[in-house]
Amino acid sequence: MAKNSTGYYFLLPSIIVLGFTSVYPAVYSFILSFYNWNWGAQQDFVGLSNYLFLLGDREFWIVIKNTFLFAFFACSIEVTLGILLAIYIDRISFGAGIIRSILLIPLMISGIVVSLMSKMMLNKLFGVIPYLMKQIGFSSGFYGTKDSAMWTLIGVDAWWQTAFVFIIILAGLQSIPKEPIEAARIDGVSEWGITRYIRLPMIRSLIFLVILFRSIDTLKIFDLVWGATGGGPGLSTEVVQTYAYRTAYGFLQMSKAMTIIVIFSIIVALLTIFYHRVDRKMR
Amino acid sequence: MRFYKKHRHIISAYIVAFIAVLATLLPIIWVGMLSLKSKGQTFTRPPKWFFEPTFSNYSKIWENDLFTDTFINSIIITIFAIILSITIALFAAFALKRYNIRFKGAFMQWLIIAYMLPEFLFIIPMYSIYQTLGLYDAHIGLALMYQVHVLPFSIWMLRSFLDEVPKEIDDAATMDGCSSFETLYKIYLPLILPGITATAILNAIWIWNELTIALGLTFSNSQPITLGIASFRGYISIDWGGMTTGSIIAIVPMVIFALLAQKHIVKGLTLGSVKG
Repeated sequence: MAKNSTGYYFLLPSIIVLGFTSVYPAVYSFILSFYNWNWGAQQDFVGLSNYLFLLGDREFWIVIKNTFLFAFFACSIEVTLGILLAIYIDRISFGAGIIRSILLIPLMISGIVVSLMSKMMLNKLFGVIPYLMKQIGFSSGFYGTKDSAMWTLIGVDAWWQTAFVFIIILAGLQSIPKEPIEAARIDGVSEWGITRYIRLPMIRSLIFLVILFRSIDTLKIFDLVWGATGGGPGLSTEVVQTYAYRTAYGFLQMSKAMTIIVIFSIIVALLTIFYHRVDRKMR
Repeated sequence: MRFYKKHRHIISAYIVAFIAVLATLLPIIWVGMLSLKSKGQTFTRPPKWFFEPTFSNYSKIWENDLFTDTFINSIIITIFAIILSITIALFAAFALKRYNIRFKGAFMQWLIIAYMLPEFLFIIPMYSIYQTLGLYDAHIGLALMYQVHVLPFSIWMLRSFLDEVPKEIDDAATMDGCSSFETLYKIYLPLILPGITATAILNAIWIWNELTIALGLTFSNSQPITLGIASFRGYISIDWGGMTTGSIIAIVPMVIFALLAQKHIVKGLTLGSVKG
């Protein structure tokens, strides 16, 4: 390895661009979260009062609850379904390529398109799904009522992102060496036994990685919610990022919005560092 | 029955696969069919599976200036952002592979944190900073801001491709008197070209589908296609033809792109930690 300064010159452009696009705005947000800037000339230092206000704000806690509810259920459903799918499809050899390609399609669709597709299909008057459900005697308000909107979003997110888990776990399953599986089979271990006691333990670190990626991604959800419900009806589907957007761009309460997102970013950063540490240990 | 018992693992696997494929494709096919229906056929009850397709929605959407502009904007922004990210990331990945960088660990940690943090942490202050700098609602401004996500991703990917190049090739180049810059573009570049292409494609998919940052940093001149499609979702009425057609137009190129980069998608999804 060469030990001169050339390496730093090659790294410099990245440091400048990433510094400008990440460190600079993050520090800016952090500093202004101690001010009372509402997009005007007034900008006074107010100490911790934005933080104290939010901690006592009922609306903020509803939003936090919504965000974690969405992340928990969407992530659980996607991880469970994705792993099950991967286990089944791992057994297929004929046609596996095409099945894999098809199942991957939802991942290539943007959140806004997914939200609009779901809005059209679930539309109370014109949608195909309420129509079909009515034929067999069921009905749901989907995005229209406070009780069902969040669950509808979770279901739509599962349609959209289960493939993420599936494709990674499938790659993991397919990279497992054949010998221990053959040996277990000769010993008469059932197929599910092999999966439970050999395959899944061998891809433990991968399952962990997938859970962390999905949990961070679902906590940050924005485009799907913004496109489908805009946070409504009422506050029933408002999540942190839609709430921060509305506070900043709707009400121009810039400092309050920055405080919201700073608190949230600390949670995400801690999760990320935790992941990075464990990931390095597992390798 | 004996046939079933012997092959039940395979049979159940095909049944699961069939259901999953159906659940994936039906919504897309349904929206595709809606986009080919004329206005009168859209809401017939019961919904029709067979009908005479019309392409009027597709010819109409290209007459919509708003949609056409956002489509072109997206192409421009995607090209800008990819050129920027691949060039810069190639240098960085090269530095990380070849040189003894003292704060390498911290740098990699910074990359993953920047990649993971919620978009509005950066967008809300940038909304004000960009207006001062004249980058608000500009193609280049959006392409630059996309680097917060695309650049860590590209560095990660290109580094994992560079790591596959044997060290002996590098040593040989140094002995032949290649400067570090020459080693990069004469030796490494041709070898990892497929990796660069895959990274560029995966970047393109992400940029094409991005909405959050664009919503915060553009207004009218440089809105990308995601915002063009969102605009069909009116507050009073919904433009069903525009929405279905716009959705299909946004989906198709990305699916083709994905097929081209299929081999590297798993690596992409896991930031280079898993080989597909």
